[in-house]
Amino acid sequence: MKKFYGPLVAAAAILLLSACSVRSDAADLYKQEVPLQIAAEVPEEIAPGETVSLQAKLTQNGEPVDEANFVHFEVVKQDGSIPYPMKEAQALGDGVYEMKASFRSDGLYFLEVHAGSGDAISNPHYQFIVGELSESELDSLKEGPAPDAGSSGHHH
Amino acid sequence: MENGNRENPTAKKTKQAKGGQFYKSVWRWHLYAGVLFAPLLVLLAITGSVYLFKAEIENVLYADYYEVKAQEERVAVSEQLSEVNRLYPAGIVTAYRPGETELRSSEVTVEADGMSMTVFIDPYTGESLGELNNDDRIMDKIEEIHGELMAGTLGDRIVELAASWAVVLIVTGLFLWFPKKMNGAGGVLFPRLRQGPKIRRRDLHAVPAFWLSAGLLFLIMTGLPWSGFWGTNFQAMVTNTGEGYPPSVWIGDAPKSDVETQDIAEVPWAAETLDVPLSSVQGLVPLSLDKVVEIADQEGIHPSYSVFIPQEPEGVYTLSVFPPKAQDEATMHIDQYSGAVLADYRYDNYGVIGKVVAWGITLHKGSQFGLINQLISLFICLGIVFVAVSGVYLWWKRKPKKGMGAPKAPPLFKTKSFLLLMIVLGLLFPLAGLSMVIVWLFDKLVIQRLPAVKKWLNA
Repeated sequence: MKKFYGPLVAAAAILLLSACSVRSDAADLYKQEVPLQIAAEVPEEIAPGETVSLQAKLTQNGEPVDEANFVHFEVVKQDGSIPYPMKEAQALGDGVYEMKASFRSDGLYFLEVHAGSGDAISNPHYQFIVGELSESELDSLKEGPAPDAGSSGHHH
Repeated sequence: MENGNRENPTAKKTKQAKGGQFYKSVWRWHLYAGVLFAPLLVLLAITGSVYLFKAEIENVLYADYYEVKAQEERVAVSEQLSEVNRLYPAGIVTAYRPGETELRSSEVTVEADGMSMTVFIDPYTGESLGELNNDDRIMDKIEEIHGELMAGTLGDRIVELAASWAVVLIVTGLFLWFPKKMNGAGGVLFPRLRQGPKIRRRDLHAVPAFWLSAGLLFLIMTGLPWSGFWGTNFQAMVTNTGEGYPPSVWIGDAPKSDVETQDIAEVPWAAETLDVPLSSVQGLVPLSLDKVVEIADQEGIHPSYSVFIPQEPEGVYTLSVFPPKAQDEATMHIDQYSGAVLADYRYDNYGVIGKVVAWGITLHKGSQFGLINQLISLFICLGIVFVAVSGVYLWWKRKPKKGMGAPKAPPLFKTKSFLLLMIVLGLLFPLAGLSMVIVWLFDKLVIQRLPAVKKWLNA
């Protein structure tokens, strides 16, 4: 009688205690995406009128992407007052793409990178400052970053 | 062997006695488990019957919140969110559901004052149609009873215990039902109604129960993957083999945004001072929900999806949809800064067992095949109620005035075939197994030492 009792309780205990969880690498067993990663380089300080180089480095699976389907740069001013057309960026090699630009007026800007490689599309938005910020731009910053803020009506 | 040959008659007798002991053990456990779990099974069957018609019931209950007049143009999602922000200035928006048809409102889930609210928005005017406290939704309450008896984790375990023991009831019940001699189909495949009340009572429990057993087993096995203990472990094991749901569809973590924290633009909080280090506000900003909805539409996801909004800087937008048909399911994770699709799991990307479980769930909910599915499930639920009630009635009529009326069974460890059966069931359903050990210990330590109780239970 005793010989049954031990294993029974042990088996129950093991089952109840060994509650398993999903392994952290379990996703590798299923369909995987190869997202296009974009790291942008925008100079930390930009003076109005100064020509600067805006860059984005594209990688996929850690490898630089030189044959992207498309890489477009678009700059939008936060208040929507100055539209810059979307432009194709120049490939510099090693996955780096560049656009030269200069901004006439001070303010808060967004750089939008539109890029595609293979099936992956990526469209990050970078916030940057030219010169000094106005009061209303500082106020809008405090409400949190809003890439489409141009449409929600912060006007001077 | 030699012994057996020489004492053939005795061996046969022992074998018969053994068979009788096995039968008594099965009967005893079936009776106790049945009487204990019948009320719970009835409750589960009734709440399940109602929940089958969740969509239809909610469409009537919430018609004022759901229905909108289609117009030419929709207002931007961000404007719909501003309406919610206006209503709940301190609320945190956690999810958005665009609405699957032109005539359906959109829904915004907002956490405010410790409550989870759904605000229904007319997507053509951007105005609120009203709000519901998610704790007040009657169908959610029914689901909560069905899934956890409105008692959290403890309730979840009790429901799982009832489901596991229902399997024990099916297996032991089939042994009791199985005809010892083949005397035609009466009492086996159809009830004998004209051979006296005793036979009628027995047949009105055993025969319908046999017919229902497959349906009941199906509902149990398709419901268990939801459960907190068996389900979570089962899903984790299966996901780890690569044959289940991909991680994050049911359990497991969603991928994280692959960005460096210092690349993310900081939000200067509305402090009194404007003394903000300006370099820290330069960087990545999150996408608007409008963009995410645009991506969802491009990716061709079933229109009844919800978007879960990241609450952490490294979090992702999660698009998730569990529509009526399993084949339309999708779970997608989108980087909140770049809109890059980090994971896109459709039904076709599930492993074999994941697909089976997904079908099981939509069949269990009665949504996979619409009305016919609901009616068959309803029939099984009503059948469960009938079998539970007729079983308890059978016991009530048979039981002696004093005592439970269970047959006295030999100690568990004396009938090895029965012990084996219980061990197998106990291992497949560990919670039931654990409760068996507890019952066994309780019997040994308490019941056997209290003569009155021992006598009443015929232990």
